[in-house]
This record gives sequence, C-alpha cells and structure tokens, in this order.
Amino acid sequence: MSEPPAAAPVPVEERLFSLVLALLATEQGLTKSEILSTVQGYRQRYSQFGDNASLDRQFERDKDDIRELGIPLETLDQPGDPGNNQSMRYRIPKGEYDLPSDITFSPTEIALLSLAATVWRQGSLSAESQRAMLKLNSLGIESDDPVIGYAPRVRIRESAFDPLRVALDKHAIVKFPYLKPGEPAGRTRTVAPLALVQHRGRWHLSAHDIDVDDNRTFLLSRIVGPVVSTSKTWVPPELSGHAERSLRELDALWESQVAVIRVEQGTDAATRLSKRAQVGFDSAGADELRLHYTDVDVLADELAGYGPEVLVLTPDRLRSAVLSRHHTTVERHRDTQPIADKGSDRG
Amino acid sequence: MASAAPHGRDKLAFLLALVPYLMDKGRVSVAEAARHFGVTESQIRDSVNLIAVSGVPGETSSYQHEDLFDIDWDLLDERDEIVITHLVAIDDSPRFSAREAAALIAGLQYLSSLPEQTDRGVLVSLLAKLSHGASGTPSEVAVSSSEVDGFVSVIRDAVAGGFRIQFDYLNSRGALERRSVDPLRLESLDEDWYMRGWDHVREATRTFRLDRMSALSRTTEPVSSRAGEITLGDKLFEPSDTDLTVVVELDSNALPLIADYLTTEAPTPVSATRTRVTLHLAHTHGLKRLVAGLAGAVTVVDPASARTRVADWAQAALDRYDENGLPSHKTGIPR
Repeated sequence: MSEPPAAAPVPVEERLFSLVLALLATEQGLTKSEILSTVQGYRQRYSQFGDNASLDRQFERDKDDIRELGIPLETLDQPGDPGNNQSMRYRIPKGEYDLPSDITFSPTEIALLSLAATVWRQGSLSAESQRAMLKLNSLGIESDDPVIGYAPRVRIRESAFDPLRVALDKHAIVKFPYLKPGEPAGRTRTVAPLALVQHRGRWHLSAHDIDVDDNRTFLLSRIVGPVVSTSKTWVPPELSGHAERSLRELDALWESQVAVIRVEQGTDAATRLSKRAQVGFDSAGADELRLHYTDVDVLADELAGYGPEVLVLTPDRLRSAVLSRHHTTVERHRDTQPIADKGSDRG
Repeated sequence: MASAAPHGRDKLAFLLALVPYLMDKGRVSVAEAARHFGVTESQIRDSVNLIAVSGVPGETSSYQHEDLFDIDWDLLDERDEIVITHLVAIDDSPRFSAREAAALIAGLQYLSSLPEQTDRGVLVSLLAKLSHGASGTPSEVAVSSSEVDGFVSVIRDAVAGGFRIQFDYLNSRGALERRSVDPLRLESLDEDWYMRGWDHVREATRTFRLDRMSALSRTTEPVSSRAGEITLGDKLFEPSDTDLTVVVELDSNALPLIADYLTTEAPTPVSATRTRVTLHLAHTHGLKRLVAGLAGAVTVVDPASARTRVADWAQAALDRYDENGLPSHKTGIPR
C-alpha cells in the first residue's frame, strides 16, 4: 500500500468541486479510471501503470462526502457486465441534482426557516440545518425581518441521539444497553429504529424490537451505553409517518395517566406545577392538583426535587417511587463514611 | 469513522450554493454577497477565485479554457464586484439532503407552538416544500408542539413594544418578590420558557423562568435606554461571582444532566464509572432540589453543610408523608 504524496497540491474543496462538475456534465457516466486520470485533484496523483490504491480510497471517501450533501451520485452497471467495479460508471443526473424549479420561498418563509434552523445549537441537526440554510441562501431571497427578541432551542443531551439518527437513515439495526428503573443493570436491546421524537421535553426512540418482534418506545436518557450498529440492515415498512404515530401514542399515554398531588401553597412547587395541572379540579381542595404524565419514574424524579413541597396522593406506584428517592437521598447524604466507598458498588 | 474532510465538504457546499446565487444576481458586490451568506469578504473572494479556475475535463480531458468557469476579472479587481461570464455544468441551487430537510422540518414543528404561528397553512406548505425539495425521504425526527405558557405572548408584545414588565417571582431562596424588569429576549429550552432582561432592583441582567412568574403585567413605561446597550451572551445561565461552589460525585453517564451547572474545571474520574465535578449554583436552595431530583445518580461530597441541607430536604419530605398519614417507611417500597 503506497502512501499518498506528502503534500496535496490541489485543495480538498477544489477536488470535490471538480468531481461534482465532471459528474454533472456527463450523460453516460464516467468510469473510475476516467475519473482518476482526468479530474482535477486526482489526475495530478494518478499513475498510469502504477498502484492507485490510495487514490482509489480517496475517491471512495469523496463519494461519501458528496452523497452526504444530498447530491444524487449514481452508479451505472455496464450492460452485460453487472457488478464489475472497473466498467461501472458514475454520474450525477442533473434533473435530480437541481432543486425543483416549482419550489419558491417568500421572504416570510425564509425568515421562518431561518428561525427553525436556530432551534438546534449543537450536534448533527445543527450542522445540517445550517447547510440547508446555505442552499436556501443560494436562491438569493432576502429574508423578512427576523423574528426579534425570541431565541427558541431544543436541546439534545443524549449521546445516543446522533448514532440513532444515522441508523435511522441507513436502516441499520442497532444494539444498546437499556436501563429500566428498578432493574439492577442495563439489558441489551436489538432494534430497528423507526423514529426519533421529542415529547414534552424528552427524546424517545420508536423502534421495532427484534427480540420481542414488536414496536417499543425507548427513552433516550435510559440508554446507558454506546449505540452499536450491527452489520444487519432491514427493509423499512412502506408506510411512513412513524414519528407522528409515535407522538400520538405518547399523547394518548399522557392523557390516560393522572397523578393527584398536594402542594404547599406559596412554594416553588405550587407556582410551577399549578400552571401545568388540570384546571377546575378543586372539589378535593385548592391545594390538590391533577397532573398528567407519560412516565412514572420521570415524574417521580421531578416531584422528588420539590422535597416537602409536594405530597403524592395517587397512584401508589408514583408515591413509592418518590419515597424511595427521598430515602436514597437521605442515605447518601447522612452517611459519615467516605463517599467513594458508597458509590463504588454501583454501575 | 469521521470523514477526513468535513471542512472540505462544507466548503464544497458553499461553492455549490455560491454559483447559482451569483448567476441569479448577474452582478453583485463582494460585500453584498458576504452579507447575504453571513461570511467574510475574503471567503467570497477566495471562493470566486477557485470557481473561476474550475470546470470539467472536457472533450480533450485537459481542462481547456472553454471548459472552465470565467468571471469578469477587471470588474473584480477594480470594483470588487462579481459577474460570472461563463458557466459550466451547474446553474441551479442544489436539493436538500434528506437529513437537512428533516432538521428544518423538526425545527419548524417545534416553532409551530409559538403564539404567532397561527397560520397553519404557511407551516403545512413549508413542510411540503421541504420534503419535495429533498433528494430523499426526510428521516423521521419530530418534536411535539406543546401548550405554551400564557405569559409568552404578553412578554413578546412587551419586548416588541419596548415596555417594562412587572411580576411576582420566587427568588432562589424561595421568597416571593415583586420584580420590575426591561424584557430583552424570550428564550425557550425544550418545554421550558425563560425571559432575560434588565432587573431594575438588582441593576443587572437576569434570567427568569416563566413558570415561576405570577401576577405578570405589562406597564406603559418604556424600557430604559440601558436596555438597548446590553449584549446578551449565548448561554442562558451565566455563573456569577456569588455562586456557591459544590463538589458532587456521579455516574459518568449522568454528566449531561447537570451540564448547565458545570464549571470549566475538568471532571475528575474516581473509578471506571464514577466522576467528581465542581458545580456552580446560586444557593443551596437550588442545590437540594437538583440533587433530590437526581436521587442516587448524584451525591454531594463537599462542603458538609451542603450535604446536610440536601439530607434535611429529603428527610423533611419523608416526615411530611408521616404527618399526613401516608407511611414513608421503606418496607414494601420497590427500590
């Protein structure tokens, strides 16, 4: 395996740009050797009779980069010689490259889309919405006044998000350790991802669980280890709309589960939880609130934070979950032993 | 297995966007193009210089003059204006990738809960355009739109009109105070809404949670001239000098849960799975809530007074159950 030349004389972007132009300009496609021997940035490093293995790998990476931008780089088999890497031709069909000409955006729409792009501040969604805005800017439409005095954002704290999103796009089957509350350790789940949805501030994965052969919803915050892509892929079902279906299911779950709590007047809990609680429920006393919820342990974490300001009346399962949290907190903070000993038996 | 050149890829995306823009404009100054794309003028010049020497191998496979882009060099040199005089291969804006379209679609869904987004038609039409303009089916990522705090529209109007607002607010010690604030910006973070503004009593910029406000009213008093001079940082929470410093120990994978409170000090691993970090909080009133809400995951190590405050908070909760005839003892409680 020969090493690539120490200093590439042609900048990366010039090589990529030249490759895109060459592939757009060709009707019948170019073979790999035509590309490597003639396109700017490759031709300088091409050896007519020698080993072009490193240049070949460069071309493979460049193809990935180009496709990553949404550019439809096609491969065409030579008739009568399918699958032959040498005679295969590459091209970018112009009709599928160009933004359809019937798509136009008004200045107001551009302003709204610009705001939508700022919702993501980190991770792959941020980079991708910035790139989408770049493409929108190429249309030369000036935005209306931006929506002033308003900075919306959605946070993605879970490191599982990006690998799951890649798996979603590639239809890859993935494995990850999932820790259900009350279980001593995470258990490995093998799933085909269907959708990633944020519902009431929490990211969920809707997926087909391979082992139970049924759809399941997972909280991303309970994925306690790396998401590993298996070599297996799956054929996605024809029907789309999994994200919407998943959100509807979570809404229905939220609607069906109700906790009754008592809050201490004049406290943080009273101010904040009253705003969320069901209105018009005062038959049992002004300090009792009804709260809908999707996940009993998520709600228990939240309510435990309010300490004595909140008393859970029903359901019992929620009350035990909150009590158990308070017991844990007391145990961990009353102990006079060094904390490191206490903690090391976990995880 | 990150690509070797995300930088090269981004530059390629920029070149492919710049060409149709320049073509569409016909003639445009370097300054105007830089402003439109939000980049520096030298980035525009560098890109134009590269475009002007690029092209296709052509019939001779040797990049002859007619196979390359061309620009009016004199105009660029003398007036700093760009005119493309010869086009090669591309003349249109590229499509969105499926992932790019999905990112904007999910962002739009989140915005759809904003009070001013009453025109559902605009939103639906935009979603359709993005899907239609993508090179593949946008991936299934969605954010639910949710009920928005009723104060949002009041504060938005006050920001837009430049009026001071007043409201009752529970301070970090749990006491109710009347606050008088020049509202500067509304921010949301997932489900939560915040208002940043100039606090007239504290004489400083402060961040307020909307769900902690009550008795909100918009005054007819215009915001003070100082309000216009304030530049808000990008961080919602900026630690102040008076912050309390606390050392906690936690599962390493729970670090993102307390990211808002982290200092610049690097976390210190204490075992394969546990880490110690220093947090900044306004007061132990906030600390006990944070730790009680992450029971078992986060333990306060130092100072001892903070440990006691946290333990007392959870014990007070247990006592209250007992006082109300709801036994708090551990028997039968699932752990």
